[in-house]
Amino acid sequence: MQRRSFFRWLAGLGAFTWLHAQGDAVALDESALAGLAAVVLPASLGRAGTDKVAQQFAAWCRDYREDADLGYGYGHPRTRRSGLNPARNYPRQLAALGPAPTRAAVEAALAAAAITALPRRPNGGHVASDLMSFYFTSAAGNDYLYRAAILRDACRGFERNAENPSHAS
Amino acid sequence: MPVKESDICIIGGGISAAMLAQKLSELHPGIAIQVIEAGRTTFDLPGRFANRRREQLYGENPWPDDFIPDQVADGQISHTMALGGQALHWGGTCNRFSREDLELRSRYGLYTDWPIQWDDLERYYCEAERRLGVSGAPSPFPEDKPSQPYPMAAMPLSWTLEQYKVWGEKAGFPFQGVPQAKNTVAYDGRAACQRCGTCDICPTGAKYSPDFTFQALLKAGKIQIDDHTLIRRLVLEPGKSTVAAAQGNRRDGSGTAVEYRAKKFVLAAGYTWSSHLLLLSSLANRSGQVGKYMNGHEFTTAIIELDAEVYPGMNPDYGLISRQFFRCAAGGGDYVRHDLRIFEFSPRAQPRLKNDQGQWLFGDEVGEDWRQRKRAAARVRAYCDVHPDATSELTLDPSQRNQWGDPLPKIVHRFDAATQARAGATQDHLAKVFARMAANQSGKIVSVSQGNYLDHPAGGCRMGNDPATSVCDSFGRTHDHENLFVVGAPTLPAAGCTNGTLTFVALTLRSATAI
Repeated sequence: MQRRSFFRWLAGLGAFTWLHAQGDAVALDESALAGLAAVVLPASLGRAGTDKVAQQFAAWCRDYREDADLGYGYGHPRTRRSGLNPARNYPRQLAALGPAPTRAAVEAALAAAAITALPRRPNGGHVASDLMSFYFTSAAGNDYLYRAAILRDACRGFERNAENPSHAS
Repeated sequence: MPVKESDICIIGGGISAAMLAQKLSELHPGIAIQVIEAGRTTFDLPGRFANRRREQLYGENPWPDDFIPDQVADGQISHTMALGGQALHWGGTCNRFSREDLELRSRYGLYTDWPIQWDDLERYYCEAERRLGVSGAPSPFPEDKPSQPYPMAAMPLSWTLEQYKVWGEKAGFPFQGVPQAKNTVAYDGRAACQRCGTCDICPTGAKYSPDFTFQALLKAGKIQIDDHTLIRRLVLEPGKSTVAAAQGNRRDGSGTAVEYRAKKFVLAAGYTWSSHLLLLSSLANRSGQVGKYMNGHEFTTAIIELDAEVYPGMNPDYGLISRQFFRCAAGGGDYVRHDLRIFEFSPRAQPRLKNDQGQWLFGDEVGEDWRQRKRAAARVRAYCDVHPDATSELTLDPSQRNQWGDPLPKIVHRFDAATQARAGATQDHLAKVFARMAANQSGKIVSVSQGNYLDHPAGGCRMGNDPATSVCDSFGRTHDHENLFVVGAPTLPAAGCTNGTLTFVALTLRSATAI
């Protein structure tokens, strides 16, 4: 093994050990994540809005539990467990994008990772597509897509239940 | 071996067990009732919000570890095994069967009649609706008229469901919101629904689940519950046909053998584990009927795109039902009975990363692209009445065993000859129904699929008057053992053409009068 390869391997091993020592939690560079969010999330949210989604995504990564009980489904039940935290891949991917990613850099990174579609849930394929998936499949993302106040994840009561939510203020 | 004694020993901890324990404690104040559940107890209403959030964010099981890994059956549709059973997760749908379900032989010359009259069962539907707290509106069909109104007004339709209702009724089928065990006002100590959209774990307690009943009964000192306890055998009094004891093992890590002695025993362990325990015990099976006539309903689903302004997510666990096809003419024509349901459905188009030209889409481009491609859609589903053959059965599978070495159940559903013969006509009929709906608002059927399992399964301890063709009478008393009863789902001869839980509960409440 070349000396450089050895140190790269050692550094990788260190990162792996550190991640295991942290349990499921993965700490992300939130500034870099916010920069990425400004590129891949809707500009119409405003910078404060994309920053907020980046923070929520970082929290999602932080609170992810590996090997969690995902239930067993209905009809043809099969017990399922969660996999490794997708965010394990993100520090390297964010670092490769640099502190102020450009659209061209994100496109190139996604192409290099052979990502062509948004996953149903973040899956570790690439932090850019996972961040987009996180947002567009969220209740807030659903409201953005529909331009409506559906508030899917909220306990909303029935006060405005019969109203067209696109007209709700 | 620790021995516990009671007047009535209920094996199983689901919705039938809860309703039975509640009613028995009212009918016989002071009676000693023992409930035994193999799985764990989850009395944690405050914790439901956190579990719900984990489910929303990560897809985690909102009822963690509510199953026993080595206690599963081949052919079962859910692994749930915990105090509360499948009714922890259920959607709360409380449709009634109809008179026709009980008179298949006498009306249509098909399968069998139930050993119970409709008017008799109907009284217990009313009681079940009161105890569960069902909100609903009267059916537009006079044949469905109940003898008592629902205890609560129906849940109001969302904007989206109103749009679907208008569309569905253009086909000539009257639709209404499904009756549900969800409070529309505070009821029975539980809150009113807040439209949280996660009925599989209702964070407010507005949806009925059996844990509430068990908690109340425990608090009042009316029952004892032993969870983490797997009953593995029922044993007879020496030289007699009466059951003396239920024997099992603690699942708390100790494996301690335990015995429960009681005057009466009730199997309320659902459609799988009730038959399973009888087969393991070689009881109630003099005529070889235990595990036979396993049933459920077939279902066929159409996804139909239409021109409508709908917003999926407004109340995703609430839907519409038409009882238009609960009845069909006797004496001629093809027999086909089914319910007809409409549910919210998201557009087929999903947000995407590249457009058709292969260009990357980011930010607002994703939303603009999606809005151009999306089209409203509805999920339309029919539960069809199908009838089991005697070979539709639950058997012991010696190749699959639990940690105690007991063979596990294997369920294989098979239809009787008449059901098989009319299968093509049933699908033709459904195709016409879906086409009639799609004929309005520029509808387009984009897929039709038949379910690959039977929903709302039941059977295995079929009730009947003839011991040669049934396991128990209409009250669930086994023909072979006067102090052994089976209640709920296992006793149903057939599964009708709509959700079964209300019927399981109604029959259980009727059984309580004879236990």
